[in-house]
Amino acid sequence: MLERMRYFILRALRNMRQWPFLCSAAVLTMAVALATVATFFLVVVNVEQLSQRWTKEIQLIAYLQKAPSRQDIPAILNDLKAYPEVDSVSYVSPDDAMNRFRQRLGDDASLLEGLNSQLLPASIELNLRPEFRDQEHISRIIERLENSLEVDDLRYGQKWLERFNSFVNMLRFVGIVLGGFLLLAALFIVSNTIKLTLYARRDELEIMALVGATMRFIKVPFLLEGAIQGLLGGLISLVFLMLSFSLIISRSLNSFWLTPNDFNLLFLSFNQQLILVFSGVVLGLLGSLSSLRRFVRI
Amino acid sequence: MIQLYNVTKKYSSDSVAVKDLTLQIGKGDFVYITGASGAGKTTFLRMLYAAEKPTRGQILINKKNITRIRGPQIPYLRRQIGVVFQDFKLLQSRTVYENVAFALEAQGKKRYEVSKKVYQALKEVGLEHRLQRRPLELSGGEQQRIAIARALVVDPLILLADEPSGNLDQDVTLEIMELFKRANARGTTVLLATHDHSLNQRFPRRVITLDQGKLVGDQQPLQV
Repeated sequence: MLERMRYFILRALRNMRQWPFLCSAAVLTMAVALATVATFFLVVVNVEQLSQRWTKEIQLIAYLQKAPSRQDIPAILNDLKAYPEVDSVSYVSPDDAMNRFRQRLGDDASLLEGLNSQLLPASIELNLRPEFRDQEHISRIIERLENSLEVDDLRYGQKWLERFNSFVNMLRFVGIVLGGFLLLAALFIVSNTIKLTLYARRDELEIMALVGATMRFIKVPFLLEGAIQGLLGGLISLVFLMLSFSLIISRSLNSFWLTPNDFNLLFLSFNQQLILVFSGVVLGLLGSLSSLRRFVRI
Repeated sequence: MIQLYNVTKKYSSDSVAVKDLTLQIGKGDFVYITGASGAGKTTFLRMLYAAEKPTRGQILINKKNITRIRGPQIPYLRRQIGVVFQDFKLLQSRTVYENVAFALEAQGKKRYEVSKKVYQALKEVGLEHRLQRRPLELSGGEQQRIAIARALVVDPLILLADEPSGNLDQDVTLEIMELFKRANARGTTVLLATHDHSLNQRFPRRVITLDQGKLVGDQQPLQV
C-alpha cells in the first residue's frame, strides 16, 4: 500500500516535471482564480466592517429652540431614556457646544473669543440601539420628540447610511454571484488545462490501458497531480495576497482619510487561509476528475 | 486457447469489419492472420484484447467468454495478452527501461521484481545495454524489440502482433520473427497479422486468411 502510494506520488511528480509548461499553466490559472475570489471576499468583508463602524457612530441630534432650565434636564433625559429604541442620551448645553467647537477649531479657537456662548443652541444627543437604526424607527422617534420637546432642528445621517447599507447589500450579493461565476470559470479553465495535459499524454494513457492497468492505477496519479497543482496554486495565491496586502493595500488604505484612525483592514483569518489553500486542492481534484472522465477509457 | 463462434463486427450498417467468423486456435499455436488492407485483421485482433466488442457471436479466451466483458474486468484480460504494433507505441519521453517496466508497474508488481524481469526481458531481445536510452535514439528494429520486450515481460498467454514488421527491412524482420518463435517455443500462443507472404515461406505456420471480414482460408503448414 505504502509502496503503491509512493509510486503514485513519484509518477505524479515526474509527470509534472515532464510537462513543466502545462503544469505551471494549470498552477498559475488556479492561483489567479483563487486570488481573485479571495480579493473580492476581502473587499466585501472590509466594506461590511466599515459600514458596521459607521452605523455604530450614528446618532440622532435634536437641536432645541430654547435651552431648558437646569432642574428640568434630568426629567427630560429620563423621559427619553425610557424610549425602547434609545441606548443612551446626553444633554449638550450651549456652553458645552461652544467648548466642543473651540476644541475642534484647535489653533483657530481665538476666532470665537468674545462670542456669546448662547449663540449656539442646546441639543440632546440620542444613541440608538443597533436594531432600531433604520428609517422607520427613527421617523417614529422624531415624531415623538417633536411632540414632547420644542425642537428646532433634527440631524441624523440616516439617508446617507441607508444608501450605504443598500450599497453593502448589493456588494454582498454581487460578491456571491461573481465569486460563484469566478469559481466556475476557474474550474472550467483548470479542467481544460488539465485536459490539455491529458491530451499531450494520450499515448501514455492508451498504452497504460493496453498493458492491463486498472482505471484506478491510471487515474490516481492524475488526480494526485491535480491536487498537488491545486495546492501549489492555493499557496501561490495566498502568498501573493499576503504580500500585496501588507506591502501595498494595507499601507496605502490605512493612511487614507476615509478610514477612521483605529480602523484596521481585515485580512483572511488562519482558518480562511486554510480554506483558500484547500479550495485549490479541491479545484485541482475536480478539474482532473472532470477531464479524466472524458479522456480515460479502457 | 482462442475460440470464435459466428463473430461479426459492424461499425455501421454498411461497414462490416468482420463477418461470421468461426475458428479455434489452440494453446501454444503460432498463427498468421493474412489478408489485404481492410480485410479485418486489425479488428479481429482488437476484439481479442477487448478494444472492440463483437456485434454478434461469442469469443472465448482461455475458456472464458469475453464477449460481454465489463470495463473493470478488461485490465485482467489484458494482463494475459501481450500486444505488439506496427508503430511500436513506445513512450518517447521514457527510457528503454521505463518503457518495459511500465507494463509490470501497471500490474502492481513490486520494485525488485520489476527490475529483475525488465533486465531479463531486455536481455532476451538483446537490448540490455541500452537501458537508459530513449526510443528515438534507437533504430526502428530496436524500438520494435523494446515493444516486444514490453509485451513479453508479463509472461502473457497470448501474444498478438499487428503488422509488427510493416516498418522494418528484411533483415530486421527476420530478427523480430526469431523473437516471436522463441516466445512461441516457451508456450506463448502467437497471432501475427501481416500481409507479408514471405514470412510464411520462411517460417511456415498455420495461415488464416480474411477477405472483407470473411474467413476465406485456413491452411495448416506443409512442414513445421
